[in-house]
Amino acid sequence: MTRQDQILTVEVVDSEGGTFTLREICERGDCHAEFVIKLVNYGVIAPVEDIPEAGQWQFDVAALSRLRKAMRLQRDLKINLPGLAMSLDLLDEVQEMRREVDRLNRQLRHLLGE
Amino acid sequence: MEFKDYYAVLGVSESATPEEIKKAYRKLARKYHPDVSKEEKADEKFKDVGEAYEVLKDPEKRAEYDQLRKYGARGDGSFEPPPGWQSASGFGGGGFTDADASQFSDFFEEIFGGGRRGGFSGGFSGGGFRQNMRMRGEDVHARLALFLEEAFNGCEKQVSFTVHEADEQGRVIARQKTLKVKIPAGMREGQHIRLKGQGSPGIGGGESGDLFIEIEFAPHPHFTVEGRDVLITVPVAPWEAALGATVTVPTVGSKVNVKVPKGSTSGRKLRLKGKGFPGKHPGDQIVILQVAMPEKHTPEAEKLYEQLAEAEKNFNPRSKLHV
Repeated sequence: MTRQDQILTVEVVDSEGGTFTLREICERGDCHAEFVIKLVNYGVIAPVEDIPEAGQWQFDVAALSRLRKAMRLQRDLKINLPGLAMSLDLLDEVQEMRREVDRLNRQLRHLLGE
Repeated sequence: MEFKDYYAVLGVSESATPEEIKKAYRKLARKYHPDVSKEEKADEKFKDVGEAYEVLKDPEKRAEYDQLRKYGARGDGSFEPPPGWQSASGFGGGGFTDADASQFSDFFEEIFGGGRRGGFSGGFSGGGFRQNMRMRGEDVHARLALFLEEAFNGCEKQVSFTVHEADEQGRVIARQKTLKVKIPAGMREGQHIRLKGQGSPGIGGGESGDLFIEIEFAPHPHFTVEGRDVLITVPVAPWEAALGATVTVPTVGSKVNVKVPKGSTSGRKLRLKGKGFPGKHPGDQIVILQVAMPEKHTPEAEKLYEQLAEAEKNFNPRSKLHV
């Protein structure tokens, strides 16, 4: 067991390596491969490289994170796949717009000398 | 233990029909879903709503709850079930639904039994698991907010999260775990880091899950971030913009002198190569100029402005408005 005062060095998994196969992402996401394949077909998540054979797909951790989000939304709000795809796209857009509003608000405060 | 009024949580009356309860739940679930809502304590509210619905949607549980509700909370809002109380609908012993019982309150557990003592979330139902089963531990996904300076320079942070593990009787319990982690320099918002084996322990000798942490940035009063670039709006005096000047500009954790070109206007962008996020391909710092006016002018300055107005009388700042 890790002691609380021990400092752990982390692994950055986005930029280099750290991808998961279809089997691994299913295991980590606790779901069936069919569900992942459907999410890919609906454009909800995408493998790192666009390869036709699902067996050769590799997913990054952002895809795993999105898969888990999709599963939570489906479980909690009972959304079907097309609805899920649209909801996630809209949520991305909302997040982007919230960031932009935040940035513009700060810029406005600067302009007003606050 | 605090009494939970599930009717109030869902905003329905005691006589609400199952349809009304479902409708209220759906609306509140959308409103407070942690992946959707930005409301404060949305996570907590969502759990309360889910717990209330779990009870009120089930006629048996609802009847039991109504009975207890009549028995009532004490004057100070606290609640103890009647002596010898035992739920007939028994959540832990078979009534497992797709709800994550480990998230429910002490109040729920006291009344309907051990959701938390029973099923592994999404995995097992009923009491415990088979000892000969070997299973990898759950991954844990967490978020960590960093100040821009911390992300830029790297830092050490304490991270707390919940793991699920089996106790001696094989019952799944939630445990709070705290780690100190070293965040490398140059982490950006949305990036993930992984701590191998720091998630929930495996079962029957299975390997532990991993801890994934997604990086978030706390808002900075001066800087914003776009990809690897750092943006800052820098005010300059009208004469600095008109004549050109060398001005001091803050960078993340330092400052540099920047040459403002002659004839600059508000909104002009100056790029400071390599002053953005560090890394193999470091970003730039983008300085956005903003011409600022003094709040008051001296009589001498006013005279100079009059001369300027005369010298620049062909300039129409409102030409784009066609006036």
